[in-house]
Amino acid sequence: MDLAALIIADSRFPGGGHVHSGGIEEAVVRKLVVSERDLPAFLLSRLRTAGALAATFAAAAAHATTREVRSGHWRRLDAEFDARTPSQAQRAASRAQGRGTARAGRVAWPSPALSDLLGECPRPHHPIVLGVLVGVPHDAAMAAAYLAVSGPASAAVRLLGLDPFQVNAVVARLAEPMREVCAHAADVAGHDPATLPAPSSPGLDLFAEAHAAQHEEEVRLFAS
Amino acid sequence: MRVEHGHGHGHHHQVDFDPTATAPDHHDATPHAGRAYRIGIGGPVGSGKTALTAALCRALGDELELAVVTNDIYTTEDADFLRKAGVLAPERIEAVQTGACPHTAIRDDITANLDAVERLEEKFPGLDLVIIESGGDNLTAVFSRGLADSQIFVVDVAGGDKVPRKGGPGVTTADLLVINKTDIAHLVGADMTVMTSDAHRMRGDLPVIAQSLVDTPDAPAVAAWVRSLLPTRTR
Amino acid sequence: MKAHARLTACFDGSRTVLRELRSMAPLSLVPRRDTGPEAVVHLVNSATAPLGGDNLRLTIQVGAGAVLHVVAVAATLVLPGPHGTPSTSLVELDVADGGSLEYLPGPVIVTAGANHTAELRGDIAGHLHARETLVLGRDGERPGRLTTTQHLTRGPVPLLRQTLTVGDPELDASIAHLAGHRVMATALMIGEASRAPASGRWWSRTALAAGGTLATSLAPDVVTAQARLEAATSA
Repeated sequence: MDLAALIIADSRFPGGGHVHSGGIEEAVVRKLVVSERDLPAFLLSRLRTAGALAATFAAAAAHATTREVRSGHWRRLDAEFDARTPSQAQRAASRAQGRGTARAGRVAWPSPALSDLLGECPRPHHPIVLGVLVGVPHDAAMAAAYLAVSGPASAAVRLLGLDPFQVNAVVARLAEPMREVCAHAADVAGHDPATLPAPSSPGLDLFAEAHAAQHEEEVRLFAS
Repeated sequence: MRVEHGHGHGHHHQVDFDPTATAPDHHDATPHAGRAYRIGIGGPVGSGKTALTAALCRALGDELELAVVTNDIYTTEDADFLRKAGVLAPERIEAVQTGACPHTAIRDDITANLDAVERLEEKFPGLDLVIIESGGDNLTAVFSRGLADSQIFVVDVAGGDKVPRKGGPGVTTADLLVINKTDIAHLVGADMTVMTSDAHRMRGDLPVIAQSLVDTPDAPAVAAWVRSLLPTRTR
Repeated sequence: MKAHARLTACFDGSRTVLRELRSMAPLSLVPRRDTGPEAVVHLVNSATAPLGGDNLRLTIQVGAGAVLHVVAVAATLVLPGPHGTPSTSLVELDVADGGSLEYLPGPVIVTAGANHTAELRGDIAGHLHARETLVLGRDGERPGRLTTTQHLTRGPVPLLRQTLTVGDPELDASIAHLAGHRVMATALMIGEASRAPASGRWWSRTALAAGGTLATSLAPDVVTAQARLEAATSA
């Protein structure tokens, strides 16, 4: 795996990921996640829905950097990700992280592809800018899929004071499904964006909307 | 009240903004035309960061285009306090969610705060100054230079007169150390002479201001220090 | 069984007429009489469809000015075939600019052992109100496998693309999917002003990026799911 993918997947990467819980704060507030025992199902389902979507678009964006794409391609990819993200709160969270990742990325990995992306989409979706920065479809998928579970895992530790060793082990046990998700994402990376997979996560979407709405009433620690 | 300024502490106001430049916008801390000066206010819980922020809004609000970003840990208490205090229009206050890690949000990953600052700059194009108030944290919490052009670290006499002696990056490296609540020093058994002399010993030439917002509600010494940092404005 | 039913509604200058109405067993299209300027067609599935091995297709076209309501009279039971043969159903919607379609199929109940792929494809230049209710198994029954996909576009603009796979016990119970509920109901409104997001404990309403509104509810039973969906669309 290339260094860029490792850096972006690192929780120390300054792209704004640490203020997003991936829906687990809402689940914790509702007492649906209370201990380490509740994490595997949450993380596995997130990996195979939102994580698979992120991996797919990260790989597709990385693939696009390796071939000549016509002007307008990034806007198309952006619109296709939008169409697969019905929740407005989820789109806002993805664009916030995308913008943060782009801010860090412009300093570390400037490239014509990044300039083209940001020219067409100044506030890109997170997986798309991630894919452009990593540039290797499978690596980009791995980074995106890993972030889809490492963010909520770390948020769970902070919110519930969970045993970090147990939580780390839960994430480690996702190796096999993560391999599957990423292999599939890399397989379809060169496809027409309109035909890319569209795994939905109605539960997470519902939680994301509730999280955003609740923040108006009682504070949430995480932005999503 | 004692005000002591050190030597010039590196705030050069280089104007290097070229709208035709295609170089990446790398958000360095060098203030340039078109962006507001950013002051971070950090310090332990209860030391008076929000009260100081409110005082600065009162003191500077008439002469500067001003906005505030708050970083609370568990509530929007600080933002609410500022809104209720009426020192600043509510739309000039942005509250940032820090993912339960207030020091990360001002130091290691400043994305959420930069986003908030940029939102304010978009809303108020002529903004001169953004005050970024950290969530109450420990003595090691300092602002990244990528976020704040200058920073104030606030401690108070109630935290004990040995706080300055303990040091830590906040006390030793902040551009200004404010020792708050001097009016209650005698009540909490804090020796102001010890506190200020320790502070100076730890900080070398960097300035220290001891103040009481009860005695001087508009924090005139800190306000003067802030004014001295800002580029000369042509308004 | 392979079937392709077609329905085309046009506006003749004073009312909506059904230019094409082709039922094909097991899909029956039954027009209602005396419905004024708007057309109403009942969708009647035979009790045993779709069954493993079935490939069912329904095409609905609505011309400019036409207003068509397609309403199912009963729930659809998705049943397994003799040797676990998969079944498919495809619904194609084409609503011209100025046309309006209300598409209200009944709840889809995924029975044990079923292996079904359902797809809804629509090019919606006009107005669409579509509902979907998904039920994981009859009462107390473990559901078979269902993959349901929605592809809705307005010309070249993608509006909504979603695929949900149910029937994996681990995922069905998970928060990302149905959060342990047996029923999910959605209502999709396209071609009207997007409405502001709103949410309750087990329902939400959200605005799609390219226009349109999607309401979703999760519940233990169909009646509750529909009540929650009602809350989501009327809030």
